[in-house]
Amino acid sequence: MGFLNSYIYYIGAFGLILIGLYIILVKRNLIKVIVGLGILDTGVNLFLISVGYITKGTAPIFSRTGIDSEDMVDPVPQALVLTAIVIGVAVLALALSLAIRLYQHYGTLNLRKIREQKW
Amino acid sequence: MVNPVLLIAVPLGLAFAIPLFALFWKAAVKYIPPAALAFNLVISLLLLPKVLENPVIVSIGDWQPPFCINLVAGPVGVLFSAIIALVGLLVSIYALDYIKEGPTEKYHMLYLLLLTGATGVVLTGDIFNLFVFFEILCISSYALVAYLRERSGIESAVKYLIQGAVGSSLLLIGIGLLYGQFGTLNMADIAEKIASASPISLFVPMVLIITGLGVEAAIFPLNAWLPDAHSSAPSSISAILSGIAIEVGLYAVARVIFTIFGAQSFLPFLALLGILTLLVGEMCAFSQNNIKRMLAYSSIGQIGLILFALAIATSYGVTGGLFQLVSHALSKALLFLTAGYMIYRAGSMEISSLEGVGKKMPLTCLAFTIGAFSLVGLPPFIGFPSKFLVVQAALATQEAIFFVLIGLALLGTVIEAAYFFRVVQVLYFKGQRPNPGRKEAPIIALVPMFILTILIIVIGIYPRLITGVLNSAASELLNRVEYIRSVLG
Repeated sequence: MGFLNSYIYYIGAFGLILIGLYIILVKRNLIKVIVGLGILDTGVNLFLISVGYITKGTAPIFSRTGIDSEDMVDPVPQALVLTAIVIGVAVLALALSLAIRLYQHYGTLNLRKIREQKW
Repeated sequence: MVNPVLLIAVPLGLAFAIPLFALFWKAAVKYIPPAALAFNLVISLLLLPKVLENPVIVSIGDWQPPFCINLVAGPVGVLFSAIIALVGLLVSIYALDYIKEGPTEKYHMLYLLLLTGATGVVLTGDIFNLFVFFEILCISSYALVAYLRERSGIESAVKYLIQGAVGSSLLLIGIGLLYGQFGTLNMADIAEKIASASPISLFVPMVLIITGLGVEAAIFPLNAWLPDAHSSAPSSISAILSGIAIEVGLYAVARVIFTIFGAQSFLPFLALLGILTLLVGEMCAFSQNNIKRMLAYSSIGQIGLILFALAIATSYGVTGGLFQLVSHALSKALLFLTAGYMIYRAGSMEISSLEGVGKKMPLTCLAFTIGAFSLVGLPPFIGFPSKFLVVQAALATQEAIFFVLIGLALLGTVIEAAYFFRVVQVLYFKGQRPNPGRKEAPIIALVPMFILTILIIVIGIYPRLITGVLNSAASELLNRVEYIRSVLG
């Protein structure tokens, strides 16, 4: 159980990443693919957070007395994740608006049926 | 003292000022991108002589380098930002007349954001900052590909977005793994600490980062989006995507391989990938009937050649690669710009419908021909010295593998010549239609084509104009100890 306890966040993060990739590769519906992108993003963000996480750690606020710096989590990955979340939101919003246009043009969201552009 | 931060801050601020500006005076919005990029070009050229002596390191917020986000304006960064500003300026002048339909203020805002992202990628010294600027570049290019709202544009934007988003997620995982091992995001700091890490724990982040960046750089198995996106975007955007966006991707790959990882043993594999990319691109381009798709596939081929030259990793090779990169940026931008108006006048993208256009719009077609000859590598255009340098560098290595690969690259050039000459033949010598009378591209579009043509010929005749800068850029890429020392002090 020690292994599971110390690596549970990494297992969860890579589980989400793999689920997201699976959805993107296999599903035919564009909306589902976009959901897959969202899950992939979430997995990556969870992974970044867990890189800097310490079990039972607190926020790194040095003005509060009585907390050892050993017990503080690393704040840098959290700053990275805030940025990554914003980027992810922008990509998903753009993807959904493109999906609306795609439906207006083709009358379907099935990616296997939309294949006018070929090599 | 000029501060390199201005190269990013001014266009970024102006880009977000455009929608506000459009509320009051919509007609003037289109002049903002040329103004911002002219400013960038001037600043880059002012910085260039200084950074040739010493790289300018800017620490944002006055923290010392490993702890801050820093900008490294070395020869490579300033060379790239000058090219981005130059090509961006010329294309934005072209777009003054070319972009008339649709929500034009959004076009100009996204266009400026795309170039800001590109400038940020080449100047930053922080790997997460590189990711952020890369995303600015990518997201604005997804939106611009779909700008015309046609069937093909939307379809290719969706493809591009899905592949690009997966690629940037992989890049972010790689960055996270590096941070987990070294506890720093500064590229010089990572490069310094990387010697102490075990090779196997570096392999996974390196592969993830290269794959993530490779999607944007269109390296062979990851380039399925490129021909669709480049051919269905508006022509001015195709010129930027082909001339700037994929080059910036290649820069990031080179920076990661040379500076951060110093991965010498990985280079033959990249050389092989480069030649594969080249052959696939050229062969696909040969079989196209649509002129913009043909140009897009030809971009894939050129990217392969640049990647191959960079992977030679001698001083000659990297100089040749950067030279080829400059030559491709200028020539391909010229080709897409001229093709834009040729398509506009002919009413179709099919090569066969361009018969007789050479008599109808002689200046535009002359510019197209010069761009095509330059890409093929005919003297006295810029493509000749750059390709010559790449071949020379490959032969100077004295290794059998590079001899074989450069032979294949020359085969690719022959194919390239075949399809470009075919188009030129169609333009001038095919078709018995009666002379339709001259109808040239508008003068404001001819100006950037003219400037690009002049640059292509002048640098082609006198390559020493830029080889000095290219040489020091190459030595910055190859000498990672010097890079670490100049950043960390």
